[in-house]
Amino acid sequence: MKKKMVILPCSVIGKAYGEMGRQAIYELIEDLGEEQATTTCLARLMIDDPETKGLVHENLVITVDGCARDCARKNVEFTGKTVSSALRVIDVFKDNRDLKPEGILELGEPGFKLVHHLARKLREEVDRLNRGEA
Amino acid sequence: MNDDFMEVTYDKFTFRVRRDYWYHPEECWAKEKDGIITVGVTDFLQKTVGDVAFLELPGAGTELSREGEAGTMETIKATVALISPVSGKIQEVNPLLEENPQLINTDPYGEGWVFRVNPNDWGADRKVLWDAQTYFPKMEAKIKAEMAKK
Amino acid sequence: MLDQFKPLKVGIIPCNGEEICEGTLTRFACRKVLDSLRPGDTVTICLPLFIAGDKGEQNFAKTFPTITVDGGEKRCSQKSTERLSGRPRYAVVISELLKEKGVEPPSSRRKLTAQDQTAIDLVAEDIVKKVDEILEKG
Repeated sequence: MKKKMVILPCSVIGKAYGEMGRQAIYELIEDLGEEQATTTCLARLMIDDPETKGLVHENLVITVDGCARDCARKNVEFTGKTVSSALRVIDVFKDNRDLKPEGILELGEPGFKLVHHLARKLREEVDRLNRGEA
Repeated sequence: MNDDFMEVTYDKFTFRVRRDYWYHPEECWAKEKDGIITVGVTDFLQKTVGDVAFLELPGAGTELSREGEAGTMETIKATVALISPVSGKIQEVNPLLEENPQLINTDPYGEGWVFRVNPNDWGADRKVLWDAQTYFPKMEAKIKAEMAKK
Repeated sequence: MLDQFKPLKVGIIPCNGEEICEGTLTRFACRKVLDSLRPGDTVTICLPLFIAGDKGEQNFAKTFPTITVDGGEKRCSQKSTERLSGRPRYAVVISELLKEKGVEPPSSRRKLTAQDQTAIDLVAEDIVKKVDEILEKG
């Protein structure tokens, strides 16, 4: 049975990267459907919620961090789970220099264009992992 | 208490100043070793502007003048012009920054150094820079001014 | 004399949860408090960074009073804060607050609508009341 992709953002509240990560994941889940991809709360995992732990440990995990601090990846790995792929929102910004979000939560049109790029990159990762490429 | 650094904490942010470096008002630092000057940006600057995404720096061999332009640093929030605190020829640009410009954020006084300069007259350049004890209260004043803006 | 013991800042720790729409609400309400209602009196603690062990976030939460803002009954922010820094001064649970006030939760976790502004305002005002109490009493 094909494993589900569990995609976890860092959701940093102090930077636009956090909102961009969330929105890209929601876009991807809407695109692929909940049977193939889902998300859950990083904090819920870290308080040892059994349902969340089960979801994460039984499926493949992609983390989406805002920056090089890699909080989502580090937190997931702290629970003993190896992350299958770790993306950073800042890397998508680096590839699309002219697009700057307008605010931390209200991303505006350029911010949402970055979101679409990130969602596309996530989709590529999901497809790559589904093909069995580690 | 850290022997290498002077530190101050405001809210949840700890700002650090390396004791043995020299500082310019435009928030860059200089450190001399074996006749070569290493230049970087201060902890205060990197905290203020955010995660560095792009750097445009002059290449090795470029002549710099004191307080002359020395590239730009871009984050999702701002684009900052970098200046050189010393005059001389760039000997080396930090190669690690090409792939990982965020080293400037994670280690502004260490691995995040920006370029190394063969100075024309370090003695003269140093005279107009601040030592850590002089720079520290000026940094604090800037921090307080930033917080008062809120 | 008592003034010198008055806390200068209050740390707000939203859960930012992705799974339910109340998680999205925590972000918007907390940013409203931080950016427009009580700027200068509040600091937001980033929960993932806090949990990942950032000393700045953890030390602030140990030194200054905190208010956790959770989307739902799992109380992830409250539990994390208690474990890593100590009991928050107040713990807001949005699902309970909305139910108590008879306000509908948002229908989407992805996008909050103009109608959801009522919920954002309600939560933000509740946080502000608690911030003011803390700053008043010390």
